[in-house]
Amino acid sequence: MKIIIVILLLLSYNSIVAQAQNVESDSSSSSATDTIFKLRVLDNAEIDILSSFYKQQGANAAVSGGIGTEELTNFATSISVAIPLTDDDILSIDATISAYSSASSSNLNPFSGASDDSNDGSGKKRISSGASSGGDPGDDYKVIANSPWVASSSEAKDDIWFGGNIAYSHYSDDRNNIYSVGFSAAKEYDYRSLGISLGYTRFFNSKNTELAFKGNVFFDKWNPQYPAELNHYADLNGDLDEGFFEYAVILDKNGNPIDKDGPKVWSPNTAAINDERRNTVALSMSLAQILSKRAQVSFFVEPTFQYGWLANPMQRVYFGDKSNYFIGNPSSVYIYNYTQNTDVYHLADDIERLPSSRMKFPLGARFSYYLNKRFILKLYYRYYFDDWGINSNTVKIELPIKLNHSWTLYPSYRFYNQSAAKYFAPYNKHLSTDSYYTSDYDLSQFSSNQYGLGVKYKDGFTKLHLWKIAFKSLSLDYNYYRRNIEFDAHIVSLGITLVIK
Amino acid sequence: MKNKLFLIFFGLLFSITSCKVVENNEKIDLNDPDMVLNDRKVNNFSTKFHNYREGSSGAKGVKSVGGCGCN
Repeated sequence: MKIIIVILLLLSYNSIVAQAQNVESDSSSSSATDTIFKLRVLDNAEIDILSSFYKQQGANAAVSGGIGTEELTNFATSISVAIPLTDDDILSIDATISAYSSASSSNLNPFSGASDDSNDGSGKKRISSGASSGGDPGDDYKVIANSPWVASSSEAKDDIWFGGNIAYSHYSDDRNNIYSVGFSAAKEYDYRSLGISLGYTRFFNSKNTELAFKGNVFFDKWNPQYPAELNHYADLNGDLDEGFFEYAVILDKNGNPIDKDGPKVWSPNTAAINDERRNTVALSMSLAQILSKRAQVSFFVEPTFQYGWLANPMQRVYFGDKSNYFIGNPSSVYIYNYTQNTDVYHLADDIERLPSSRMKFPLGARFSYYLNKRFILKLYYRYYFDDWGINSNTVKIELPIKLNHSWTLYPSYRFYNQSAAKYFAPYNKHLSTDSYYTSDYDLSQFSSNQYGLGVKYKDGFTKLHLWKIAFKSLSLDYNYYRRNIEFDAHIVSLGITLVIK
Repeated sequence: MKNKLFLIFFGLLFSITSCKVVENNEKIDLNDPDMVLNDRKVNNFSTKFHNYREGSSGAKGVKSVGGCGCN
């Protein structure tokens, strides 16, 4: 190991000397030539339209405390426009809309299942518990439960995410410096985000070397939504004889009704979020280098610091050292962990709680090699670690295959693994004495494989056009993602690039 | 171990710049759009899904936050 480090330091010294010489010759030659020829940075405005359809399924829903259906579909579309303002300046505008439907999220309120059975002898009308806010204390309820394996019809089952980004880039006359600034905003029902970015890119060695720095700051804020039963419990100050709970039969682990006024009852932690902020500071640095006429490589690091409420208040947690309580069909309590359970739900002990800060440190490399006129080899590797205990490796290989001047195929393979966050435990395995806990399997130990195939049609001469808008390229990609735990996903993406002449 | 990784990483960072300079008229193959050292734009949503569904994120040349990723 020491020998490797010494060799690298020697190489580094050589490189610094060589680079200094190149910069000297570069500056003298560029000042003579670049003042004569100054090409526009972008000739024509370009429009990128991107759509994707995403579908996932799994059996470890975080909203249900690490158990239940994770079925989710998402349809997203974005439009990006790059406009040349002058010879040296580009304005980029990006707008995205993303709509999802999620069985897991719908169980924020699993008690909203409708029922037409009103013959319960109480004279009360059977109604759902309403929105996730739980309605007003004192409303009449006859609680009907879904299970974690069934999507609820609650308001939380779907949502729309909006995002926008505007960025301005300025190129120096010699094209060796790029300065950029950007602003972003995003919003969904329970979350909003504002961001600022600053960037600087410097080219050396006849543009053989590129050094880039970028800083991003995001000011995000929760509009916290809590699991329905915790909301009701907090609204009613823990009175299980009122409101939502008045006509709810609470069952013990054997499916027997409990005495709500007895000594042993369900008593969750309902402490709310004390800080609705989630702020992020991300600094990235990358160095790209041409290695030969056919090869180039880049290295990058992106330390990121987050602080604020980093847990998700929608996600339930169950403690193994506390008794289990349910609402729903008593005979389904025994099959709670199985998909056959459709009508009983475990009452949460708490919401996910995580530390108020997180330091992430990803670093990696990309490599591209032009094998011949038909094949290009692209490699990507990233190592990541953070102070929550997650270590991960990502490897991706892509092999663009040029069938002819217009058509290119993109077969790809991606491998990913990660260790679990130290705050993760599966369903019902946490201890109530812990300070932090999550049963979100996105923070568990797993590995995944992703197989992809894309195709691109390119019209190099932009012959097809309508008025001033010309067609440049069309891409269609399909990827299949599968974890070694029960989770897989399909994603189809369609991209169209147009040029305004 | 992490300190050694840092040393190797930054050593590589500087050592690669000792390569021979390729002049602009020799960059025909390097200028192929598929040689770019980044993901293709059509993969933007795929990258976003990775950021949401995996515990790690960043260092991909794209925005790493801006939504809760809670679903």
